[in-house]
Amino acid sequence: MLEGLITKLADTPWSIGLHESLYMYAITESAHVMSIMLFVGTIAMVDLRLLGISYTKIPVSQMLSKMLPWTVAGFVLLVITGAMLFLAIPIRTYHSLWFRLKCLMILIAAVNIAIFTFKVERDKAAWDLGPVPRKSKICAVISLGAWGCVIVFGRLIAYNWFDCDSITSATMAGLTGCPLDPG
Amino acid sequence: MTLYHTAQNIEASALGQAIRESTWLFPAIESTHLLALALLGGSVLIISLAVLGIGLQTPPAEIYKSAHRYMNGAVIVLLITGILLGISEPVKLYGRQAFWVKMISLVIALLATYLAFNPLVKRGASGIGIRGVTALTLAAWLMVAMAGRWIGFS
Repeated sequence: MLEGLITKLADTPWSIGLHESLYMYAITESAHVMSIMLFVGTIAMVDLRLLGISYTKIPVSQMLSKMLPWTVAGFVLLVITGAMLFLAIPIRTYHSLWFRLKCLMILIAAVNIAIFTFKVERDKAAWDLGPVPRKSKICAVISLGAWGCVIVFGRLIAYNWFDCDSITSATMAGLTGCPLDPG
Repeated sequence: MTLYHTAQNIEASALGQAIRESTWLFPAIESTHLLALALLGGSVLIISLAVLGIGLQTPPAEIYKSAHRYMNGAVIVLLITGILLGISEPVKLYGRQAFWVKMISLVIALLATYLAFNPLVKRGASGIGIRGVTALTLAAWLMVAMAGRWIGFS
């Protein structure tokens, strides 16, 4: 069903227009990269504070309240430009192994953010300027690792190593949702 | 020997050939380049936003004490990975306007960061001067990132 939807998406004038535009795709891609600086950049600085290895004289509460709005702004820009990039090349991206791994990493990062927001930072008043607890460090490491993978996997979507026409094993066919060409 | 011949010689070098012919090397270096770009963005922004009064309320000079390590580290990694990427396809780069735009913006960004922005932040400067320098520095780095991505399209 999802695949049918994506095939329909690929036939919309929006998709074709973005794909065939001389400049719009490049502008969107460039904006996506610049938004990474804002989003991953600011979240990395917060994570370094939550690890307790940098910015230790700045209260955790200030770091979260003053930096995270910028992180959210970066995220909004990434989602908008990311959706446009997907819309431009829907079918190939949907089957891309790297795109699927990227989505998995975003999911892991999102769960990590939920755990941090609803559990870990609850008692942050107790460690606002003191040594950070282990739970905070664990969240920070997961965040840095997951977002780092999102950047790398995102970049690798551009390479055609695992495109549908080069799938030869049932495992890869399963992972990419590509039809397995017998022989 | 002209610059174009130099580019041809670099392209023919063993290192250039190795990066160009390997399946994984170019993407791996490119990914590292992007990771360092994110780190640079974060370390420059965390200071800049405070200078502009729209970020942390800690004095920028204090933020700088932690941020400058990441900034320097990111710049070093960006330069090394950038040079490696360039070595693999210098003839193509030579002919691309976006590459030259990026190089000019890069020089401006590095000069603005290390000769104006960082010294002023360290000194605890405030007022319109440092704000202007901050805006210029941010704009220059954004231009570098934008022109950099554009190399792949032009």
